Amino acid sequence: MRSEIGGDVAIAFDNVSKHYSLALQKQATDVKSMLLHLPRFLSNARSPFVALDSVNLRVRRGESLGIIGPNGSGKSTTLRVMSGITPPTSGKVTINGRVSALLELGSGFHPQITGRENAILNAVLLGLTLNEARAVLPAIIEFSELGQFIDQPMRTYSSGMFFRLGFSVSVHVQPEILLIDEVLAVGDAQFQQKCMDHIHGLRASGVTLVLVTHDMLSMPKFCDRAILIEHGHITDEGVPAQVVHNYLARVEALLALGVERQQELKVAQAVTS
Amino acid sequence: MRINRQVRRSWDLLYLLTFRELKLRYQDTFFGFLWSLIRPLLQGAVLFVVLRKFIRIDVQDYHLVLLAGLFPWTWFQTSLLLGVGSFAGNGPLIKKVYFPRFVLPLATVLNNGVQYAFSIPVLVLLLVIGGYTPNWTWLIGIPYLLAVEAALIMGVVLLLASLDVFFRDLEHLTDVIVGLIWFYLTPVIYPLSIVPAKYHDWVLLNPMASLIEGWRQLFLHNQLPGADLWPALVFAAAIAALGSLSFQKMQGGFADAL
Repeated sequence: MRSEIGGDVAIAFDNVSKHYSLALQKQATDVKSMLLHLPRFLSNARSPFVALDSVNLRVRRGESLGIIGPNGSGKSTTLRVMSGITPPTSGKVTINGRVSALLELGSGFHPQITGRENAILNAVLLGLTLNEARAVLPAIIEFSELGQFIDQPMRTYSSGMFFRLGFSVSVHVQPEILLIDEVLAVGDAQFQQKCMDHIHGLRASGVTLVLVTHDMLSMPKFCDRAILIEHGHITDEGVPAQVVHNYLARVEALLALGVERQQELKVAQAVTS
Repeated sequence: MRINRQVRRSWDLLYLLTFRELKLRYQDTFFGFLWSLIRPLLQGAVLFVVLRKFIRIDVQDYHLVLLAGLFPWTWFQTSLLLGVGSFAGNGPLIKKVYFPRFVLPLATVLNNGVQYAFSIPVLVLLLVIGGYTPNWTWLIGIPYLLAVEAALIMGVVLLLASLDVFFRDLEHLTDVIVGLIWFYLTPVIYPLSIVPAKYHDWVLLNPMASLIEGWRQLFLHNQLPGADLWPALVFAAAIAALGSLSFQKMQGGFADAL
């Protein structure tokens, strides 16, 4: 399987589609409503929601790819399929390398146990072995700047502390491919800067990066290439600044069109009344 | 290389989750780990008073017969009740992090297995006081029966937990079937010997019956489990295979269904 795709490719999507099945109406999910709406229950009408539609994509080893697009366009689904959390409905996904996905910081943290215990468990969840996690723990603790709080139960943490530890663990699990979904805006300005520097460091060391973001301004600083996803299709691709520019220009045009429409409607209403 | 690493990580996760659960269950409690002993002992004491003193069940050393069955049964029942929701109850984690998911229910089974293992010394103490002496058969019998019961419970829990993602009624069904039906049909609060002979074959078709009787024969009569254990062995092998297969088939849909 690997021989088909060159050794310099980290992620390959071939005609990858992902469908979610949505209930058309509120479905009967318990006995009472099932009996009340028996015909509807038996017909069980469902429509597939196409989150990704035959997407073809190559991410080269060491490349940094930015993904932008409106809400619900398929960006996060793309990352989920890349990470293996959910399989594609059809098509082929090839991953060459160890993947770590930062879809949400601190998933799996338990409030009742200490930051130290959570950091170890989280690091193993994200891809390390226990020995590796113990070896990298001092670096995680130092990066998080939690100091003595690391040995307190996490329920005593502020949300900033919580996310700082989450981020520290995530970037210390030494992935070959790092997937990031909108989690860079963490902590205060100084910590954010540190995160950015760390991401740049990872890039310099050859880590493949896929970044989903709504932050159009900083994305070009992180990425070599950008794609725009709309309605499950890749609709634009190229130099990050250019892709962002095209996209924003279109959004502005659409907004302007909307304003014009409303004015036309008002005029029409005024005339008819 | 990569396969070995995955196996290594799965073990590490299983270890970490098992002990996190153990720690969490008794955190901030005064009696702490003693609760894993207090509960079954108290249950045993009540059953002893009611069944031996009030109903006057005619069994020699009834308290030992009772506990030798009740302790391993508790492992089974608690694992099922807590394990059936282990995928459904961890939706946020399953949707956000990719890791070997089977560790979630298995950690619950192991955690309860550890608690059972810790209750064995209490049983031994009571046996010795009652005039029974352990011998070498225990060194083979205990690990053997532990392994059979672990395989059996893991298979059942893996199957139930996978199905539960798509059919949440299973949590209630499990509670009803295990707690209200299976418990009474298994010789836990009574020994097999008290059941009329014409029902023996039927009772022994229940894999848990042969397993509980196996524990009892070992603890009370220093007898290694033999051919009588076949229903438990066959069931454990079958359900372990079925559990892993159905988990394999269903796990791809977990993240979308939760």
